[in-house]
Amino acid sequence: MIRINCPYCGEREHSEFTYGEDATRTTPDNDAPMEEWNTFVYERDNPAGEHIEYWHHAFGCRAWLKVQRNTLTHDISWVGLPHENPEAES
Amino acid sequence: MSGFRHGAGRLGDAQLNFTFDGKPMLARTGDTVASALLANGVEIVGRSFKYHRPRGVTSSGPEETGALVTIGAGGKADPNARATMEPITAGLEVFSQNCFPSPKFDLMSINGLAGAVLPGSLFSAGFYYKTFMWPAALWYKFYEPAIRSAAGMGVPPKVADPDIYDRIQMFCEVAVVGGGSAGLSAALSASQSGLRVVLFDEHNDLGGQLLNEANSEANADLEQWRADTVAALHAASNVRVLTRAVCWGRFDGNMLAAHQSVDGKVRQNYIKVQAKKIIIAAGAIERPLVFGNNDKPNVMLASGARRMLNHYGTATGKMIAVFTNNDSAYQTAFDYSDAGIKVSAVVDSRQYPGQALVDGCKSRGIPLHTQSVVTEAKGWQAVRSIEIADLAANGQSVSNRRRVACDVLAHSGGWTPQVQMASHGGKPPVYDKKIAAFVVGDQAPDTYSVGAAEGENGLLAGVSQAIEAAKAACAELGGTAGSVTAPPQDRDGATNVVPLWSVPAKGKQLVDIQHDVTAADVIQSHREGFVSVEHLKRYTTLGMANDQGRTSNVNALAIMAQCRGISIAEAGTTRFRAPIAPVSMGGFAGREIGKHFKPVRRTPMQEWHEKAGAVFVQAGMYMRPQYYPQAGETIDDAYERETAHVRQKVGICDVTSLGKIEIVGPDAAEFLDRVYINMFSTLKVGKARYGVMLREDGIVYDDGTTSRFAEDRFFMTTTTAKAGPVMAYLERCLEIDWPELKVRVSSVSERWGAMAVAGPDSRATLTAAFPSVDFSNEAFPFMGVVHAEHNGAKMVLLRISFSGEMAYEVYAESEHATDMWQTIIDAGQAYDIVPYGLETLGALRIEKGHVTGAELDGRVTLGDVHMDGMASKKKWFVGKNLKDREGLVHPDRPQLVGLRSVDPRTPISTGSILVTDANASAGADKQGWVSSMTYSPELGSFIALGFLRGGKDRIGERIYAAYPVKGRTVEVEVVSNHFVDPTNERVKG
Repeated sequence: MIRINCPYCGEREHSEFTYGEDATRTTPDNDAPMEEWNTFVYERDNPAGEHIEYWHHAFGCRAWLKVQRNTLTHDISWVGLPHENPEAES
Repeated sequence: MSGFRHGAGRLGDAQLNFTFDGKPMLARTGDTVASALLANGVEIVGRSFKYHRPRGVTSSGPEETGALVTIGAGGKADPNARATMEPITAGLEVFSQNCFPSPKFDLMSINGLAGAVLPGSLFSAGFYYKTFMWPAALWYKFYEPAIRSAAGMGVPPKVADPDIYDRIQMFCEVAVVGGGSAGLSAALSASQSGLRVVLFDEHNDLGGQLLNEANSEANADLEQWRADTVAALHAASNVRVLTRAVCWGRFDGNMLAAHQSVDGKVRQNYIKVQAKKIIIAAGAIERPLVFGNNDKPNVMLASGARRMLNHYGTATGKMIAVFTNNDSAYQTAFDYSDAGIKVSAVVDSRQYPGQALVDGCKSRGIPLHTQSVVTEAKGWQAVRSIEIADLAANGQSVSNRRRVACDVLAHSGGWTPQVQMASHGGKPPVYDKKIAAFVVGDQAPDTYSVGAAEGENGLLAGVSQAIEAAKAACAELGGTAGSVTAPPQDRDGATNVVPLWSVPAKGKQLVDIQHDVTAADVIQSHREGFVSVEHLKRYTTLGMANDQGRTSNVNALAIMAQCRGISIAEAGTTRFRAPIAPVSMGGFAGREIGKHFKPVRRTPMQEWHEKAGAVFVQAGMYMRPQYYPQAGETIDDAYERETAHVRQKVGICDVTSLGKIEIVGPDAAEFLDRVYINMFSTLKVGKARYGVMLREDGIVYDDGTTSRFAEDRFFMTTTTAKAGPVMAYLERCLEIDWPELKVRVSSVSERWGAMAVAGPDSRATLTAAFPSVDFSNEAFPFMGVVHAEHNGAKMVLLRISFSGEMAYEVYAESEHATDMWQTIIDAGQAYDIVPYGLETLGALRIEKGHVTGAELDGRVTLGDVHMDGMASKKKWFVGKNLKDREGLVHPDRPQLVGLRSVDPRTPISTGSILVTDANASAGADKQGWVSSMTYSPELGSFIALGFLRGGKDRIGERIYAAYPVKGRTVEVEVVSNHFVDPTNERVKG
């Protein structure tokens, strides 16, 4: 079981969370061209290794969290709030 | 009949009754089914998977391949249980498997003969794939029934399991898998750090290989060490000792999963242990040798035969022979001999076993045959003699065949470390030539493999490894593991094994005894091109039985490597997956079965509905009244009556299941402007507005009504199905996308009971119910919102309509909702108010042309449902950027239309395909589909909503709704989706 260290609740089993989405994307401006929005909505990297993603603590405090997860090992190396970032990304 | 009671072993004196295939037998407390059957002289326990060869007990542990039985009867029946792992309890019923009429005389055993006579016969390697390739028609008629009746194991019970299973979560710092000498030492050492320790062992008795040792005077100090160590663990308050708990998988985050059998009210616990460090002391199991008829009953692993005698006080036979390629099996010969049982031969494939062993045989008068092999086990059903022969130096041929009498052949092909749990951590096992087996290579993080599981078979050496591991693990956690008294005797673990992967011999040479895979099958697999270990496994089904290749894996890989002319290390091994042992589904389900499978949500008015005779239907997790039948009414009668009544008079419906979200803060209006396509910042306090949300890709997400209670306070309703997702979405928007907005959202779905009062008499009804509220059109117009109190309880009244009639929604605090409902019912008596259910709710909204989840199915655009005009051009909102993509605004897209049966009494099936040709075949041009249907009492006709290509411009056309599954085609007229009151007069009345 993946365990996620929620900044509010402490370390919890991943069954308390739901996966949200890729957290590495930047939302285009409201008036950005359709092509830019199309890329934003449909195109994703699928990295083998470290990935930053949003998770929702749905069965806990209901906070949205930013999580750094290794897609190969499922190791969670960092958890923060949505506006935070891991200090040194490798 | 060969086995018998011989000495006490470590068992008590108490006698227990049990039955085998109905025959009463006696056992001792502490016996397993296997030891008890042997003690009762049972040799043939069942028949094999494919060939129906007789099978008996082959071991004393989890590696059992022969004695698979069904434990218990009826709903309690547990098929394919390993007799070696099942303790005997009083009155236990045990049944043989895969044989008819009895294990001794089985009609299907002809399969084995056919396999021997016809090469590539029905059951040889790859038979699944080959039979599938023959004419498909024959598969159902012949092969499947034939194979199903011939092959197989136990029969699953046909009735529900009456037992209770529990799930348990545990947390510890150090988990130790395996309760042998190494595991016990690791746990005791770690426990002295004060950290929490959990120890698993799948057996009833702790001690592992120590239990193979004779319970004799000479071993008294060793036995005392075992007892003291176990007692110390039980006494330690920070240690949980779990026996009969098979740890079957290791998962992310150092989670271990185990199933534990318990006596008492609960049959099994499914235990999830969250550990910081994992010490794997799972031990090793003995490999069989591959020779002719090596699956014959009374061919046993040497360690298994030894434990039967020394631990269970059961001699497996009256005259035993031993066949080995390593040192460890000699102790079995010595222990049997010392116990006064004749040992007729030790057959060793090696040239010279070492002086101590030679002397050991000589002093006991045991004939020793070196550089010799057993070519075949002989006997009609169980072993009665063996054929042995000299092995040529190159191992390729034999000579000087001769017979040796015996009734048990104990054999050993070396020891295989139990690396499955360690390899779940992700690292592949590597081949170790010294012990001729795979060992753990790189350890997974936080994992320590120790003792025989790591290829270290020596007693003291294994214990010392275990203590080192405990110290290292505790040190990393900031604790200090203690020292443990070393065992008072040593057992040299050097096996000096010389690999003997197969013997040149006649007769079936089984590699995977459980799945009837022979050495010939492995060779055939190579011949047919399936040479990688992964292909070999799938082509022959090797290692796929419930022992998961414990005994067969290494032998099969070695034979394949020989065929390919490469080393075993190069051939490699398949990876291990959880579960490593059979586990019950009951454990996973725990108590969440039947009505507890998922929670049921009930509205505050549930009891009222029950008393009113409502028929309920599950909508999401909610139980909702579907209709309220009167005497003699069918479902159709009831909803047609209710629907007509609402249009003519007044009805009331429980709509509590709608999602309700309160949105509060200075930026609440701005927030709603962003998530809805239409404006909410212009909504006046005390008014409600229908709103639609899009996804980022421009597809319709959800709809509902949102009311403004105050400048900074809104009350949103969502569809029942999307209540949860919309809440999570709003939270995401606020936390991730727009943290600058000062808004809070909270789900108030449970706080409010909700009821819709609809019909021409709804105003009069509510006026009578709540005289303090002014329901006049001026004071309370369409889309108006009023806060009120009744008997001191708060309520919110919304004048909105889903039915198209004049209607109100009343939101009452949940604890007062039933009072409020009753008040309305009482007041409505004067207007013949009726309660209506989900069927009528659906019929009314279809007549009105309102969409729900059936229409908003995640594929439709605003244009498809004629709402494109609602989208504001003055502001940005989610979905705006992509909603006008070429494909989403194409005029040929299927668009929402109404459909009316040309023959009014002919129903239109939901899910029908819309076509223009009444005789359309499967390849016809599909122009759309039917999403919802109902009978409309107002129109006196069956009607439907659907999506039709370019439907907006096709009103008046006659087409067909085809339902090929039932061969039904209905002629329909395309009409507006607003069947009733298209100009919205009634709601404003």
